[in-house]
Amino acid sequence: MRSSSTPAPRAAHHGALRRPARALLVLAVTAGLAVAAPAATGAATPAAPTPAAADGTAATPYMGWSSWSMQSSQYPGLNPNGSYSYLTEANVLKQTDALASKLKDYGYTYVNIDAGWWMDNGWTPGYDQYGRQRPDPVRFPHGMKAVADHIHAKGLKAGIYLPVGLEKGAYGDGRTPILNAPGCTTADAVYPDLRTTNGWDSAYKLDFANPCAQAYVDSQAQAFADWGYDFLKLDGVGPGSFKSGDNYDNVPDVAAWQKAIAATGRPIHLEISWSLDIGHAADWQRYSDGWRIDTDVECYCNTLVTWENSVNDRWKDAPAWSGKAGPGGWNDLDAIDVGNGAMDGLTQAERQSYMTLWAINKSPLFTGDDLTSLDSYGVSLLTNREVIAVDQNSSPVARPVTPVGDQQVWAAKNPDGSYTVALFNLAGAPASVTADWAALGFTGDASVRDLWNKRDLGGYRDRITEALPAHGSRLFTVEPNGRTLATTGYEAESAANTLGGNASVAGCDACSGGKKVGNLYGGGTLRFNDVTVKKAGIYTVKVRYVSGDPRAVTVSSNGGNGTSLPFPSTGDWNTTATVSVSLALKAGANTITFDSGADGYAPDIDRIDVPQSL
Amino acid sequence: MDIQPSASPADRTGTTGRRGFLTLAAAAGATAALGGLPAFTASAAPLRPAQSPLLSAADAARNQLWWQAPGSAGSMIGQGLPVGNGRLGALASNDPGAELLMVTDATLWTGGANGTLQDDGQFPYGRDDFGSLTLLAQLTVAIPGHDLGAVDNYRRVLDLAQGVVTTTYDVAGVTYRRQIFASRPDDAIVLTFSQLGGGSYTGTVSLAGTHGETTTADRASGTASFGAALGNGLTYGSAVTAYSGTGKVAVDGTALTFSGCRDLTVVLSGGTDYAPDASAGFRDPSVDPERLAVTKVRNAARASATALLHTHVADFRAVFEQFGLSLGASSPAQRELDTWQRVQARYRDDVPDPELEAAYLQYGRYLMISGSRGSLPAGLQGVWLDGNDPDWMGDYHTDINIQMNYWLADRAGLSGCFDAFADYCLAQLPSWTDTTQRLFNSPANRYRNSNGKVAGWTVAISTNPYGGGGWWWHPAGNAWLCHNLFEHYEYTQDIGYLGKVYPLIKGAVEFWEARLVTTTVTDASGASREVLIADSDWSPEQGPLDAKGITYAQELVWNLFGHYRTATQALGRDTGHSAAVEALRNRLYLPVVSPKTGWLEEWMSPDNLGETTHRHLSPLFGLFPGDRIRPDDSTPKDILAGATALLTARGMNSFGWANAWRSLCWARLKDAEKAYQLVVTNLRPSADGSNGSAMNLFDIYEVEKGRGIFQIDANFGTPAAVVEMLVYSRPGHVELLPALPAAWAAAGSVSGVGVRGGFVADLSWRDGKVTQATLRSVGGRTTTLVAGGASRRIDLTPGESVTLRHLS
Repeated sequence: MRSSSTPAPRAAHHGALRRPARALLVLAVTAGLAVAAPAATGAATPAAPTPAAADGTAATPYMGWSSWSMQSSQYPGLNPNGSYSYLTEANVLKQTDALASKLKDYGYTYVNIDAGWWMDNGWTPGYDQYGRQRPDPVRFPHGMKAVADHIHAKGLKAGIYLPVGLEKGAYGDGRTPILNAPGCTTADAVYPDLRTTNGWDSAYKLDFANPCAQAYVDSQAQAFADWGYDFLKLDGVGPGSFKSGDNYDNVPDVAAWQKAIAATGRPIHLEISWSLDIGHAADWQRYSDGWRIDTDVECYCNTLVTWENSVNDRWKDAPAWSGKAGPGGWNDLDAIDVGNGAMDGLTQAERQSYMTLWAINKSPLFTGDDLTSLDSYGVSLLTNREVIAVDQNSSPVARPVTPVGDQQVWAAKNPDGSYTVALFNLAGAPASVTADWAALGFTGDASVRDLWNKRDLGGYRDRITEALPAHGSRLFTVEPNGRTLATTGYEAESAANTLGGNASVAGCDACSGGKKVGNLYGGGTLRFNDVTVKKAGIYTVKVRYVSGDPRAVTVSSNGGNGTSLPFPSTGDWNTTATVSVSLALKAGANTITFDSGADGYAPDIDRIDVPQSL
Repeated sequence: MDIQPSASPADRTGTTGRRGFLTLAAAAGATAALGGLPAFTASAAPLRPAQSPLLSAADAARNQLWWQAPGSAGSMIGQGLPVGNGRLGALASNDPGAELLMVTDATLWTGGANGTLQDDGQFPYGRDDFGSLTLLAQLTVAIPGHDLGAVDNYRRVLDLAQGVVTTTYDVAGVTYRRQIFASRPDDAIVLTFSQLGGGSYTGTVSLAGTHGETTTADRASGTASFGAALGNGLTYGSAVTAYSGTGKVAVDGTALTFSGCRDLTVVLSGGTDYAPDASAGFRDPSVDPERLAVTKVRNAARASATALLHTHVADFRAVFEQFGLSLGASSPAQRELDTWQRVQARYRDDVPDPELEAAYLQYGRYLMISGSRGSLPAGLQGVWLDGNDPDWMGDYHTDINIQMNYWLADRAGLSGCFDAFADYCLAQLPSWTDTTQRLFNSPANRYRNSNGKVAGWTVAISTNPYGGGGWWWHPAGNAWLCHNLFEHYEYTQDIGYLGKVYPLIKGAVEFWEARLVTTTVTDASGASREVLIADSDWSPEQGPLDAKGITYAQELVWNLFGHYRTATQALGRDTGHSAAVEALRNRLYLPVVSPKTGWLEEWMSPDNLGETTHRHLSPLFGLFPGDRIRPDDSTPKDILAGATALLTARGMNSFGWANAWRSLCWARLKDAEKAYQLVVTNLRPSADGSNGSAMNLFDIYEVEKGRGIFQIDANFGTPAAVVEMLVYSRPGHVELLPALPAAWAAAGSVSGVGVRGGFVADLSWRDGKVTQATLRSVGGRTTTLVAGGASRRIDLTPGESVTLRHLS
């Protein structure tokens, strides 16, 4: 339950106009209205789900290659026979061979065929007599099994793709029979009113009240199992894919797919896409092996991606999901297109930052690059074993430990007591970025390992500062040699504090003391009145807060101007997180104020922890 | 108070100065004589100092700014560090893998005389007709192995006292260091590269023009260079060379390559054939800029990197150390922060940072030394551009901006830097006179003299270095310029100088003799009287376009006529004419307080005809920089109240130069906290182009949301305000600590403060009280010194000084 009574207005989805290209998927529209008979028999309730990881897939984030980045690009020469025409048997096999020879040793194993394998070059789909997607004979002259066999022969795994729902073109006149489901036709599988679903409205929504719907999904899954596929990307899934509302609730579809896959007896990784609704994270965790948290990383332009569209969105969007990932299901930040600077459309610094963010978020690492033409810098990024280990190891997903302005520090505490620390400069000009050990909870010396440059940098006392280029990053392992930082905690709900404007104390199960201060909006303020330190100086103050979306708050001490600081989302209104802020405190008593600003919405504040010494 | 006369300047006990060093500097290079040829010319080999002039690390640290990140090609205005030798300026990125210098020559101007008015009687104002300051060259030193992504412990330091930018960083255990400085004695920009730990440099030096020039390299001389001419015929050129005592330096195509160099020195020079001579069409045909640049870099390359550095530092230190400042101690926590972090913390925490605030003043002096010696004066951006389309052409704006640029020089021990401004005005005078007498009374010019007479000279709001004006006529601009010119005389008491600029002052007086018109006003008492007022004019940049008797003009003319009287007396010239002008002065209308607003009137009207919070303080000229309105018994109380009310109404939240001017006015009114707050406001960190200070402390003005531009005036005007808070002077009167804010009260000292009347003051204070003060005569003989409520008459002969203690 969302306890803040004042949610910020939801911003218009920035990516809403970004996918015109995929509208091409919506081509086949059935003529006339088919009226389907109600389902014959069968249980209306899906079987109890099994945990997604039960079949052993997705123990770690998957790694590999996907065809979509090159398919979607207008980079010269990639798609000579029309949009998305890169996807052919020949190209997939070529990339398979390159993956096997260049990247397989580093853990990259999946070769994933994306949208269009059943489309001709004019993007007209083909279906078999059971309404299942049929490989396009021009793109895949030997069918999909032959491709999977080749992939397997290289010691790799094969991935395939489908949009969620029953594609309009598969419907036929509604009388298309469903394989192994006597009495079921396509009309039985969908709602009689032919309500559409998925991110493009390219399919009729399956009605799982009718067992024919599950049968249809089973028939698709069986085809993939028969062909030998190990991975399925189910796309256009809602709530998400820029859709919401009942018609776009594809949770039953995903559950059906999990069930169908299990029924085949073949382990098939189920990845769902795109911009999945975090409000359904528990469903995605339950039924899938990974979920795309954002829109496509691709730019649909003359390169594979660009920084602004939409690589850099991930820094804002990933923190909300940090608590959702783990063995069996991972936050998918989309393709990692860092292998060839010219084709990627990114600077070296941007490529390194891209790989760094993906690794610390434990995103699947699948490149969409042309593996036959990686540049040496790209190879160095994709094959840095220390960085890959950050992605694959058992540490938690990193979170920002600073507010998320242009300069950010993210960290995760590793099981061995060290920290993975990433510095980012998202500004368009160079900047220094400092990681204060106090923000990690310790003080004194630490030894620093530079993962990208594969160098031990030696000892750093209290902090490390590095000069970062525009959109640049550094990635470190920090081993504390000092001592735990002693702090004094101050609860937001303390009667000693002063609340202004709308601010009020509210219950919060996740918060220390079971309470927090919320309603910090429209000029609401929270002032801690008696923050006492022995020595004047600039302190790294930890702020524990709750915020279901990214929100900014102006933090100041002793009546200073303060700074408006963007706090990352904690994922929902029942989860706390901390960030550290720098503030000058004088010896003796101080005030620290959180101010929403006249037009602002601030996070709810749980408590602050102030170091007892500098 | 106690007085301790001292026999000679050598006995002075300066509080922070280190003047003994001056002797060293005298050998390093002679200052260009006033009125000399500030141009790119051949020069004698500089004298190399016999001993190291470098400051100890501890001494140098007192005047250093530092950062932990470099700039980049797209961020040079906010992140490039400025160097300059008075004519050649550069912004340096200090990127380890790609050092970039954007080089500007103060004389590389497009445009020309611009001597034809538009249909509206005003001046064209485009980059081709009026012209624009433009870049000379871009220098890149690419070192591919030093990509920023692989660099640790990056740090760059701007040493304000020695004029050197030092960058250090580590790559794989080797510490690399580069220094960049713009040497006036060698007339070159020098980059030296060194390392500790067995490293070496491999890379490329590339020189490129910014106007489509072609660079060529000469294998024999080891130089790369280009030369070309602008559309206006101005020829220019630049050259670079590189040398190393260790590795290999070679010519490769149009670039210089270096490999395996444990040390490397790169020298760049360049210039134009501009000459400050109207009769020669502002050209010196004897100069071949490209060839001269090649000669200069080859000559410099005969010296070692150390010799070049020592020669430069000896020259630079000598000027810098004319003035010293401490505003008190900052906290250890503040000292730990780099300059940008400090600027941000200063704003965030609103805790005074006296060392940062003092450094901000010294930075302004650094820019003045680097940008205003021996060539054209500093315009809107000085000699620091990041492109060829600077806003307002990077020109000379005569309705506040160039005046503000030179308020700092004499106040802060940089009288020599003022010469560029005086030389400029002198060189332009023939053209300004011609243009005025030919065009000012054009029937289309709404500001023409309605009586049909015209004499002397005036200027447009914008001026260029070719005698040309831009934008609109600015009748009172002549008096505004003359005020600066005359104040320089007040500071220096240099009679030779006064004689040189006298034609400017007299010409301006003649202009106003012809222009003033009579009108009848009714005093508050009901009595009528006839007064002289300025003809139709525009109070700078706001209000009605055709207002007669605007306060701005009345105050400026009143002031100009007063200066003329003093000048004629000092020079023994034109005494008869002076009496006539004095009679006019006595008939000038002076502003009254509006009964409606309570403000000193701006338009000879009780109504507020403009923006209440307008940036310009034109009607307050009499408060600052003039002396007519003073917070003492000499000024009628209602006028003082009206001026204060107007200043209050203008508000505390403008931008850059407008805040600086407000601060100066509040300092004059002895409101220390308001004056300080405006200084602090200009220190606010600029974000996304917002008003405030960029990372490199350049003042940024937000012209539109998200687009901020560099305007140098606040970098000079704000420091001038700091000095004005510590010392107020006018001939015959000097007041110590007139507006000392609480933030600086605990303890501090300043040395080398210029005092009008011909003195230099050093003083120190504690708990807000002057503890010791020294006044030295540089030409002045008598003044009254006021401190802590007590006053004392001081009599000195030139060169003599007096030290006072226990002044309260």
